[in-house]
Amino acid sequence: MSSFPLKIVTPDGLIFDGEAERLIVRSTTGDLAIMAHHINYVTPLGMGKATVIANGKRREAACIGGMLSVVDGSVTLVPTTFEWAEKIDVARAEASLSRAEEVLHNSGSSNTDLKLAEARLHRALVRKSVAGQK
Amino acid sequence: MAGVSTKEIKNRIRSMESTKQITKAMEMVAASKLRRAQAQIENSRPYFEILHSTIEDIVRTNRDFSSPFFAQRENGKTVFIVIAGDRGLAGGYNSNVLKMVQSKLSQCPDAVVLPIGKRALDYFTSHKIPVLTGIYAEAAGVSIGDCFSIAKQLSKGFLSGEYKEIEIAYTNFVSLLSQTPATMHLLPLTCSEEMRRQGCVSGIKYEPSSEEVFASIVPEYLGGILYGTLCESRASEQAARRSAMDSATQNAEDMIADLSLKFNRARQASITQEITEIVAGS
Repeated sequence: MSSFPLKIVTPDGLIFDGEAERLIVRSTTGDLAIMAHHINYVTPLGMGKATVIANGKRREAACIGGMLSVVDGSVTLVPTTFEWAEKIDVARAEASLSRAEEVLHNSGSSNTDLKLAEARLHRALVRKSVAGQK
Repeated sequence: MAGVSTKEIKNRIRSMESTKQITKAMEMVAASKLRRAQAQIENSRPYFEILHSTIEDIVRTNRDFSSPFFAQRENGKTVFIVIAGDRGLAGGYNSNVLKMVQSKLSQCPDAVVLPIGKRALDYFTSHKIPVLTGIYAEAAGVSIGDCFSIAKQLSKGFLSGEYKEIEIAYTNFVSLLSQTPATMHLLPLTCSEEMRRQGCVSGIKYEPSSEEVFASIVPEYLGGILYGTLCESRASEQAARRSAMDSATQNAEDMIADLSLKFNRARQASITQEITEIVAGS
């Protein structure tokens, strides 16, 4: 199977740099897979599971925010956070989940608080579900 | 007469020694902070570089200038994000970046500043330059989340037409001994004609639409660049402080050596004088 150069970088560092056969990410409109010889392409990312298939091996991660770009065959994934499934801190995700729920159930929360809590809840759920599939 | 001067010299030596201790301690603190800041740079640099080159690629191959982020406007304010330190005693670190911003500010009459770091905030408030917000007074406390919220706020202002240009002034960490202030142009997105001619190969497919892509990518890009420059500036500050304190310690040592020599001479002179007095008296 032909492969393409893939780079994954976050503010915490370069996470992946090498050849991959397939990349599956969740964009703002839904899941999409990138394979070799893709046309030049740019899309913002949503929150969800990302799958990288390189050397026949499949690795999963929680990928949140950022963008995906394909320019001249090389693929760059620039998410805000990207955590491999085995590195996800489940306890932290659960704590964040319960904190977010508290805010959402509290009727006195302001609109911005609600929005923030909603985003946090979403992130925590993504992390938990990715970590749970190991 | 001789006794007074030896006492004076002794006092000066003592005060020099305590100064030296302080500068030495500050140097060591800066050195350990610098190590942490350098590790942070190394982690964030690839992100920073790839983000920048990706956006550049997109702009280069882009044929669709309908996005409001490309809009060149005549009126509106120019926003300068200025990253400086929280404290002084860091050599020329703060003054270099502030001087550069000052010379840029004199060219644009309608400018507002978003200072990051206490020194920057103090400088602009005392020079009566309009400040956008003073909540990021502590450069060390600004997190990546703050960077993204600043970016979101600024791009909203840009889209609404309030700002016509956004620039960032920071200090580039070249090496341990050299840090240079720099500015980077953030918005509107532009690219040189030459680059565009080179890059006329193919268009890019944007999904769901170019407008939506730019609307969500540009704030992300600004936030990332802001975070990257913040990391650079923080490391530069520590490096500048370290070398400033290193030379201060060196100077203190030189002065102590000089004063000790003077002290010994004065002591010797007073002994000689005493002997002559005794001999003359007997």
